[in-house]
Amino acid sequence: MSNTIIQFKNVTKQYDSDPTVLNDVSFEIEKGKFYTLLGPSGCGKTTILRLIAGFTEATTGEIYFNDKRINQVPANKRQVNTVFQDYALFPHLNVFENVAFGLRIKKMKKTDIEAKVKEALSFVNLSGYEAREIKEMSGGQRQRVAIARAIVNEPEVILLDEPLSALDLKLRYQMQYELRDLQKRLGITFIFVTHDQEEALAMSDEIFVINKGKIQQSGTPNDIYDEPINRFVADFIGESNIVKGTMTRDYLVEFVGKRFECVDMGMNTNEPVEIVIRPEDLEITSFDEGMLQVNVHSQLFRGVHYEITGIDQDGNEWLVHSTKKANVGDNIGLKFAPEAIHVMRFNETEEDFDKRLDSYTEGDANEQ
Amino acid sequence: MNNKLSRNLYMIPYAIWILLFVIAPILLVVYYSFIDTQGNFSFVNYEKFFSSVYLKMTLSSFWYAFLITLISLIIAYPTAYLLTKTKHKQLWLLLIIVPSWINLLLKAYAFIGIFGTYGVANSFLEVVGIGTQQLLFTDFSFIFVSVYIFIPFMILPIFNALDNVNPTLLDAANDLGASKWTTFRRVIFPITLDGVKSGIQITFIPALSLFMLTRLIAGNRVITLGTAIEQHFLVTQDWGMGATIAVFLIIAMFIIMFITGHRKRGA
Repeated sequence: MSNTIIQFKNVTKQYDSDPTVLNDVSFEIEKGKFYTLLGPSGCGKTTILRLIAGFTEATTGEIYFNDKRINQVPANKRQVNTVFQDYALFPHLNVFENVAFGLRIKKMKKTDIEAKVKEALSFVNLSGYEAREIKEMSGGQRQRVAIARAIVNEPEVILLDEPLSALDLKLRYQMQYELRDLQKRLGITFIFVTHDQEEALAMSDEIFVINKGKIQQSGTPNDIYDEPINRFVADFIGESNIVKGTMTRDYLVEFVGKRFECVDMGMNTNEPVEIVIRPEDLEITSFDEGMLQVNVHSQLFRGVHYEITGIDQDGNEWLVHSTKKANVGDNIGLKFAPEAIHVMRFNETEEDFDKRLDSYTEGDANEQ
Repeated sequence: MNNKLSRNLYMIPYAIWILLFVIAPILLVVYYSFIDTQGNFSFVNYEKFFSSVYLKMTLSSFWYAFLITLISLIIAYPTAYLLTKTKHKQLWLLLIIVPSWINLLLKAYAFIGIFGTYGVANSFLEVVGIGTQQLLFTDFSFIFVSVYIFIPFMILPIFNALDNVNPTLLDAANDLGASKWTTFRRVIFPITLDGVKSGIQITFIPALSLFMLTRLIAGNRVITLGTAIEQHFLVTQDWGMGATIAVFLIIAMFIIMFITGHRKRGA
């Protein structure tokens, strides 16, 4: 319990009579980890951030910070700092004064302020930029100033609201590394909001996938990528082929009119399910050897791989990532391992889902 | 080449305007300021200007203009701030702006009616029990009406500046520990300072040379530089002295423009 820093208990947020922005959300955030709230725009992820920061109040439910209820604590009294999407740097102040803003409000001694600001700026590799005006800084530099302004106050939690979305691709990749590195060096909790699933997978210790005001799934990047709980998560995180199927019995699933061996179990006999196969798990073979037969519809060269779409006899589209080239119009076979098949039950709660997955690992242990 | 030619062609109306209506009048004013009543070149007007009569007049002009500007600012800033918080802010702003479209003279005459001995204001004072007061032709009425006239011009630039403040800056200040008041003092006001400066420019400079109101509302009890210029040109026919005062007004305007100008921000 002592490791938990932020806790949401059945938090709901609703503006007037509009549909709820957040619907009965509960979760815990542990100290010193990098969390990502991931979801499409309007899913409620920024609302969670604003609730933690104190810019908005929960309609119902409780928010705890270090085991203290903070629903009514105003933003300026909370031990969190935010890095805003548009950075929100003060245009009338230079870099030094922007970073020193929080310290000056705390009426800290002048020499202490100077030392701390210098340290914070060197943390984000901006030493020597103290006297610069904000409008003289590039996007990436502004980003760093915003981060320095947050960390200089030594908060226990830093909230980052899509801070990389305004940067170009190269800089974004670089900042992903730097942010991750910074979080490790500071050892404090980062809560990062993004709609970019790649960013979330690359940086996080833990991801909360959010949609329509609900947390769909939470877990490590690996968990979420490999074992998506439902169609939304599978579709949102990475690319995937999703088809309808039936669980014939344990370890046997039927889809596109064929039966395949799989590693899933514990469901009802003949239960309708959805099947996810990641495009990189599909391997191109000859037509006869393939477990699935498709006609190559299109092919794009993506640099690292070819992105191939094929259509099977039933009209299902299959996306394949392959380093091997195919020819448009050819009939090819696709094969995959039993582990590549992910079975998703309809309307499964996260709790049940976790229990089911846990039972597999126990099963594996028993077999050995 | 063609481009350059057409650009120069576009410059012609501007150049003619500046030459005819800005440079030529200023030169004429400067020229007349060196001409005495006999039509000879002399510095006598400047000597007169530095006499106690005119210096006192200058001082009182500045004093009234300062009061008018200050009171306008004190009323306009909170008003503009509240306007930006309202739902239909553009409509409310328009309602404040509309009276400024009406001719200044008309408004002045309306106030003569309101502040007159048998006017609405005195009827009200009578009802309240204070009794009829001399309202018209006092400093109070002069400043009241001037402020009333200048307030829309003060509100407009401040409103625009406030409306352009990025709301996440307020969240950011709040996030960094600033209370509402500190946020105002350290973020909102400094950012809107340019709007305030524009408002001061647009109020103070015309207030320095007000002359219609001094006669109609203040009953010539307040004599500003503007009044003096008017008197010299139209009544005493001493164009030279009028021009000299105008020269000093122009210098004052440049000084104020310089002080309230947009300088480089920062530490």
